[in-house]
Amino acid sequence: MGLILHHEPDLNRPTMLVGWPGIGNIGLITVDTIRQTVEAEELGEIVPWEFFFPNKVVIRASILTEMGFPTNKFYYKRLANRDIIFFVGEEQPATRESMYAEGPRAYEMANMVLDVADKFGCGRIYTSGAAISITHHTMKPGVWAVANQKSLLAELKHYPNTILMSQAEGRGNQGGITGLNGLLIGTAKSRKYPGICLMGEIPDYLSRVPFPYPKASLAVIDVLSSILNLNINPHVLDDMISQMETVISNVYQQFPQDIRDRLEQRKQAAESRQQAIITEEDQQWLKEHIDDLFKKGDKGA
Amino acid sequence: MTEALKYLSRPRFNNPALVVCWESDAGQLGEKVTEYLVHELNGKEFCEINLEEFFPLGGVVIEKDIVLFPQSSFYAIPDCDIVVLHSSIPRYEWFRFLNLIVDVAQETCNAREMYTIGGMVAMSAHTAPRDFWATFSSPQMKISLAAYQLSREMDYETPPGGRPTLNSFLLWTAKQRGLHGANLWVPVPFYLVDGDDPVAQKTVLEFLDNRLNLRLNFARIDTEIIRQYERLARLRQEQPEIDRSIKKLEGNLELTETENETLVKEVEEYLGKDGG
Repeated sequence: MGLILHHEPDLNRPTMLVGWPGIGNIGLITVDTIRQTVEAEELGEIVPWEFFFPNKVVIRASILTEMGFPTNKFYYKRLANRDIIFFVGEEQPATRESMYAEGPRAYEMANMVLDVADKFGCGRIYTSGAAISITHHTMKPGVWAVANQKSLLAELKHYPNTILMSQAEGRGNQGGITGLNGLLIGTAKSRKYPGICLMGEIPDYLSRVPFPYPKASLAVIDVLSSILNLNINPHVLDDMISQMETVISNVYQQFPQDIRDRLEQRKQAAESRQQAIITEEDQQWLKEHIDDLFKKGDKGA
Repeated sequence: MTEALKYLSRPRFNNPALVVCWESDAGQLGEKVTEYLVHELNGKEFCEINLEEFFPLGGVVIEKDIVLFPQSSFYAIPDCDIVVLHSSIPRYEWFRFLNLIVDVAQETCNAREMYTIGGMVAMSAHTAPRDFWATFSSPQMKISLAAYQLSREMDYETPPGGRPTLNSFLLWTAKQRGLHGANLWVPVPFYLVDGDDPVAQKTVLEFLDNRLNLRLNFARIDTEIIRQYERLARLRQEQPEIDRSIKKLEGNLELTETENETLVKEVEEYLGKDGG
């Protein structure tokens, strides 16, 4: 009960890539884009009804015929050097008020994903998510990395366009990863699985809006392509990126001039890796107005 | 962790019907239908679902100076062979919660069918008939209720981004376990959603009375209906603007957003101060 496997292929020491929704849907888009590009086959799924509230009811001639739930599916792909297992979750198991996993069910799901990793002898697990950053939406997002074992840190330093979280924006040795991306990598640690979380940078002023930020996903895809030696078309997300850039630019133009000025100054500082300058007052304004601006911007786009 | 179900007694049933009513439903539908059935038919609470797995218990919510606290109680009415569940809507672990309801229905009570009650917000006047309908778990259930003309032959799919109701989830869960039933949907005028709608309540009670042969005495709810009609009639007399809005609804005309808001606010205030 709980896990259904449609096949039991004999896989060659696979790597597992895990993606769930979150800020900017960065992790989900990353993993699902790679999955689609390599044309991975469905492997199995986690039975959803114990974890999720349904997302669809179908009624025909007044009779309830079907109930739909968010899917949480495993896929696999055989590759020349190393196979891959994908796990793509449409939702994190949470209460209706929160989009992030919490509580015993979240831990149960994390363990179920790792059970599949165990079953197929996965050598490593990658999760992906968002790094809320002082970057600017016109800049190329960087990727922040953390590992669940010290021995992996040296390797992370050689990933392209990637820095360790402790070195990002002077944040030091403290940090956190919300939801299942964090929980999974932590649970993997307790089960002695090597795990790495790669987080694509998203500007702090976009971190609360309910839109994807595919530019950051592409940054993580680049890193994973390099690590796993995948041949992913670097333009794979161009359409989505272009569409979102139009929406973001429209909204950005509606920010008050002084806030835009300070964000531009901050962008220059970020580009030259200097200390950021944006006041708490500005941050408060962005926090209070960003949702409304995006609603307007969305209508106009 | 405590047991998920706490039994206070073990009443005997034949093949009862389970009636499911939710707290905080539109027009106090769930609360008042439960109260009416339990009071009029001498129901007794016999089982509770323990709250700790399903509700955040880190404090309480206060509404209109009243402390709210979740509850999930089953009432037995063995003389009429019915079981009534009155429950708050769980905040998490929905599937487990719904299965506990089916556990009590099937394993403890040997229930034959289930009815869930749900209020639907209607952009209509309180003077309009409550033309209610149902969705069924199976063709057989639909046929068995054909005499009540509850089917609208409706086709529906949740739109993207939407969510089904908990009643639909319960009907599906029960159906998976072989307990068939119907979701009853009763329109509640939008300006009575946060208040009391005795007409909607009576609509449900009349159906249950007929279907389950309860022999309910409707005198008390009829009095409430008359009283509310009189109060709303007085409000219409005192406030021509409210009268105009209700007349527009009676003529199947749409109200402006401002008219909607004013109607909701004035009705709520008037019924509230008048002891409603």
